[in-house]
Amino acid sequence: MKVLRRLAVMLALSFFALSLGLVYWQVARAEELLAHPANRRLTLMESKVIRGGIFDRDGEILAQTVVSDGIAQRVYPKGEMLEPLLGYATLQHGSAGLEGGLADLLLGLQHATPGQRLQRFLELPRQGNDVVLSLDAGLQKIAYDGLKGKIGSAVALDPRTGQVLALVSQPSYDPVDLDQHWEEIIQRAGSPLQNHAFSLFPPGSAMKVVTSVALFNAGIDTTDLYHCEGSAVINGQRISEQNSKAHGWVNYHMALAASCNTYFATKAVQGGAARFLAAAGAFGFGQEIPFELPVARSSIMNASHGGPLPSEMDDNILAASAFGQGEVLVSPFHMALITAGIANHGVIMTPYIVEKVLADQQTVVYQARPKPWLTALTEEQAQKVSGAMISAVNEGTAAPGALPEVQVAAKTGSAEPGGEVLTHAWYIAFAPAAAPEIAVAVMIENGGTGGGAAAPIAREMMRYALERK
Amino acid sequence: MNTLWRDLSLRLMSIAVLFIGLFVLCLQGKADWTFFVMAGIYTGLVLSGCLLEHLFHYQGDRLLLPAIQLITVIGLVFLTRINAALAWKQFIWVSVGLGLFYVILWGLKDYRRLGEIQYLWGLIAVVLLFITLIFGVTSGGARSWLRIGGLGFEPEELVKIALLIFLAVYLENHEKILRIGTVQWGRISVPDWRTFGPFLLMAAFSLGILAAQKSLGTALVFYLLFVMMLYIVTERGFYLAMALPTFLGTGILGYVLFGHVRVRVSAWLNPWQDVTGGGYQIAQSLFAISGGGVLGSGLGNGIGAVQVPAAATDFIFAVIAEELGFAGAVALVGVFLLVIFRAFIISAGAGERLGQILAAGIGVLLATETLMILAGVTKLLPLTGIPLPWVSYGGSSMLIHFLLLGLLVNISAGAAEQKALLGAKGKELGAG
Repeated sequence: MKVLRRLAVMLALSFFALSLGLVYWQVARAEELLAHPANRRLTLMESKVIRGGIFDRDGEILAQTVVSDGIAQRVYPKGEMLEPLLGYATLQHGSAGLEGGLADLLLGLQHATPGQRLQRFLELPRQGNDVVLSLDAGLQKIAYDGLKGKIGSAVALDPRTGQVLALVSQPSYDPVDLDQHWEEIIQRAGSPLQNHAFSLFPPGSAMKVVTSVALFNAGIDTTDLYHCEGSAVINGQRISEQNSKAHGWVNYHMALAASCNTYFATKAVQGGAARFLAAAGAFGFGQEIPFELPVARSSIMNASHGGPLPSEMDDNILAASAFGQGEVLVSPFHMALITAGIANHGVIMTPYIVEKVLADQQTVVYQARPKPWLTALTEEQAQKVSGAMISAVNEGTAAPGALPEVQVAAKTGSAEPGGEVLTHAWYIAFAPAAAPEIAVAVMIENGGTGGGAAAPIAREMMRYALERK
Repeated sequence: MNTLWRDLSLRLMSIAVLFIGLFVLCLQGKADWTFFVMAGIYTGLVLSGCLLEHLFHYQGDRLLLPAIQLITVIGLVFLTRINAALAWKQFIWVSVGLGLFYVILWGLKDYRRLGEIQYLWGLIAVVLLFITLIFGVTSGGARSWLRIGGLGFEPEELVKIALLIFLAVYLENHEKILRIGTVQWGRISVPDWRTFGPFLLMAAFSLGILAAQKSLGTALVFYLLFVMMLYIVTERGFYLAMALPTFLGTGILGYVLFGHVRVRVSAWLNPWQDVTGGGYQIAQSLFAISGGGVLGSGLGNGIGAVQVPAAATDFIFAVIAEELGFAGAVALVGVFLLVIFRAFIISAGAGERLGQILAAGIGVLLATETLMILAGVTKLLPLTGIPLPWVSYGGSSMLIHFLLLGLLVNISAGAAEQKALLGAKGKELGAG
């Protein structure tokens, strides 16, 4: 009898272990297994949900599911201008962009109301959540019109909050009836499905705003004059100015305004690799950018030479990196963040595009709150860089971006992608310079000079954004 | 009268589960009205059984049958949800099984007489296993089916009863020698060959044949049954200590010799590595179980019912866990534990040794079967495909388990009668 009792205790423990096993699978690992690619539950769950709509900050419809005669159809009233940011969601080709990245919001899986939970529990056909973006459809249109026909991207942020106001990538595609046109779209030149704002490019002279901070931290006297002769030899390596233009005697302020390569290369080498790498790290190089969509990690060096943010670099590569050549790669989206950080007194706000999530068209289930991401530079340093960027607009290379009534601060870049092709045209700017409300980064691939190709687009974007308030 | 209402209300509870479940499935179009006819017939059987118990003044265990009936209707509802055609047959098997239960309860006047033909039970077991090995048909990887006419039948289920009775009688007869031992083996005394031989022979033979026909799950159930019964009767840890190395030895041997054992083990260790191949079953089972969450997807809403292989048989618990969630799955597991405990309580209360051994044996058998398949589908142990008693689809398993239940309740009723008799005698004596 004693044995029987012992056995009973053992069995009770075994059954208890069994229920712990159930807890493990049904509670602890449930989410993870649901996301497993071999698990078809999520796909099937999706087909029972009416996807929520996507709206811009003023409530303009960007994407919506219209049900007529029991057939649900996804419509995109704004057409090509929001692609590939908005992305797509089809049974055949899966999902991408915001349609993919925000799927659990649009399907009401995340931030679900008790009603949605019940509907999900009962498997009734139900409505997903609506997502309101911080995006301004009007601004997006301006940027799209400017970029149309070119290959490149434009990003506008509110530097005070990190809100994404516009995000255009060209070429784009028509999201309607995507499945039918899929084969043709993927063969088009310029990879229309890829969001170029999140891809990496050499930044060229736009990088000098980052290098500036390295010079400040190294204690280099920015009032010191340096004589630019159109080219310089550093450690046996020849550094040239664009068009071999000699800038003559320049200090830091003038060097940034005139975009003098030899000044930044010489001073960066003087300051040392550690300062440069620290400044790049503070601006977010080598880091994952916290955002609703995946953004490629900006890097100082190739993976084979020590990775995105190496611990050291030699003087030759440092000299080239100081003006955004060498192996430096950055995404236009990150460049906009860097600009926003300078505009926002040194603090880069965490970027976001989802402003709020609504259930039943009115109940707010999520509201974004701005929060800082990085402190890239001190307020004084930010002021110093801003001042030089103002000069760049007023009397330097960035002049084509100037607005008549508002002071703009900006920096150009003409990055050599390598080979006998036109340079990538960069233009980063914010305005009004004294109390910035918008920061932009425009990049046109093989577009020529930043001032010529990119600046007019940035100017029109800033004009629209500042006029409309 | 009071007990009649209590009994009836317990029976009606499971009947309510059946009808509500079928109603929900009917609303979803997964069942039609014919199932209500079947359910009606079953209800008639359950209620008339309950009334007959009172008419015949049944005094045995009052919880066991209602608990099993609850388990059975959960199985019926889920089978209807998974495969209506199979469910239709299962309704017949359940009804026949319930009838068989009452036949054993009232037809078997003295279960001790089963022991009079001890070696016949052993012979039946051996012959059944042997026939299966030679004439068996392979289904689901194991060669464990016999086909007679159009009817399939799994002899190993019947072997369970034959072996159980054989073992119980054998252990009762040789209890003393097995406990004390007659041969000194170093500091341990072991039983002599003449006593222990038949047990070892029987164990080796039945396990060998089962392994040969690739019924590894059943082989493991039998092995545990042999060992645990020996332990319960002799109360000697020595036998347990001997069983473990034997088990590990054969396990390793099996792993080295058989390819399908290796596949099972690697699928258990990492089902995610090959989710479309060897790990498919267990991965789909885990997807289903985890898809249920705490409260489940609701009856009829799960995906496992169509995605999980063998959803109607070995993996039915995964479907239940998905649609009823953790709450439902744990409740079902709890009812199984209750049934096993009742078997042990009956064993403890049985007035004589054979009844004690038989009841404990049935409890151990149910416990190993339930634990093995449930631990298998939840990946706690490597999967060995055996049916979940009273739930999985299968006529042989259903009938045999109702037979076992009949035997168990018969023992409990016998003990109760004897107690009543003794009580009455005691009163007479006191009066005299």
